[in-house]
Amino acid sequence: MAKSEDLTRIITGCKKGNAECFSQLVDIYSRRCYGYFYRLTGRREISDDLLSELFVKLVEKIGSYKGGSFEGWLFRIASNIFHDYLRSKQRYKKLLEVQKKQLESKVTEPKYGEDDRADKLQKEIDKLDADTRELIILRFYSQLSFKEIAEMRSEPIGTTLSKLHRGVKRLRELME
Amino acid sequence: MDKRSQNDEDVKALFEKFVNREQAEQAAEDFLEAEQILRSCPAPGPDDKVTAGIKSQIAWALLDRKEIAFKRKALKAVAVAAVFIVLAALSVKLLEKQSQPQKIVYASIIPRAIWESEDIASDDVNLATLTAEIEQIKDEMLALQLGDYGENGSSAVEELEMEFIEINSDFWKG
Repeated sequence: MAKSEDLTRIITGCKKGNAECFSQLVDIYSRRCYGYFYRLTGRREISDDLLSELFVKLVEKIGSYKGGSFEGWLFRIASNIFHDYLRSKQRYKKLLEVQKKQLESKVTEPKYGEDDRADKLQKEIDKLDADTRELIILRFYSQLSFKEIAEMRSEPIGTTLSKLHRGVKRLRELME
Repeated sequence: MDKRSQNDEDVKALFEKFVNREQAEQAAEDFLEAEQILRSCPAPGPDDKVTAGIKSQIAWALLDRKEIAFKRKALKAVAVAAVFIVLAALSVKLLEKQSQPQKIVYASIIPRAIWESEDIASDDVNLATLTAEIEQIKDEMLALQLGDYGENGSSAVEELEMEFIEINSDFWKG
């Protein structure tokens, strides 16, 4: 992980439009952000797209970063991108339902690829409800504190803790 | 993962605010266990091709941003130049106005209406007073000529002359 001073220098460079600094940000955060998207979507190609979208958005929005936890800021954008994806997926689902009769034989809803579902963790994580899954994944990949996560979700820290605890307990049970 | 181990220590303390110590310890253990599970099954990382693609996308996005910034700057410069041109035109006009010879407007001391009037006494109070005094002197002169003042006539004439001179000098003094 980049040291705080290094990160500050990199972010300053990014704000000035330095491509090299953005490249460094990609090197530092792409793996964690990819993990976040992959564990939430379970699909590599979607994670690729979402990761690209995240970093392009970062170029647009870097000027609005006014200090504080950079990870918190970055993962807030990542979370928004994921929710946009979910909404578009919902729209896609509705479209499919409408055209089901005509397209049944040709078009099917996106399914998780067998390769992508290879690891047990992914299978078990998918059994959790969407909100709990997102909380656990966010906590693990963003490495944000509980307080930061609660602030990000605009909910009391007690609620965040309780949801997370229920989630990790269930995950433990599923993985045993 | 320094931050994570620091957070692990916070978990127990945080939970103790909401549940008893035993439950808080259990919660902290659950968190540790879950994080170990997640760590032991790492998610795949992005392909090098993907990161390379992202970096080139960023480069393009930066170019676009620079182009937009340049256009904005150019527009600003044009706007500022336009303001300067307008200001310069206005100031040139103002200077031209100032350099033109000033027209002197002469105003008569005595109003034209009074100057041309036949009835001076009704037009000006001072003139009316003067006219009245002249009339009075005229009457006194006439009285003297007719011998109304008796033997003191000569002194009365002198007195009248003095008065006349005084009025005359007052008139010219204004």
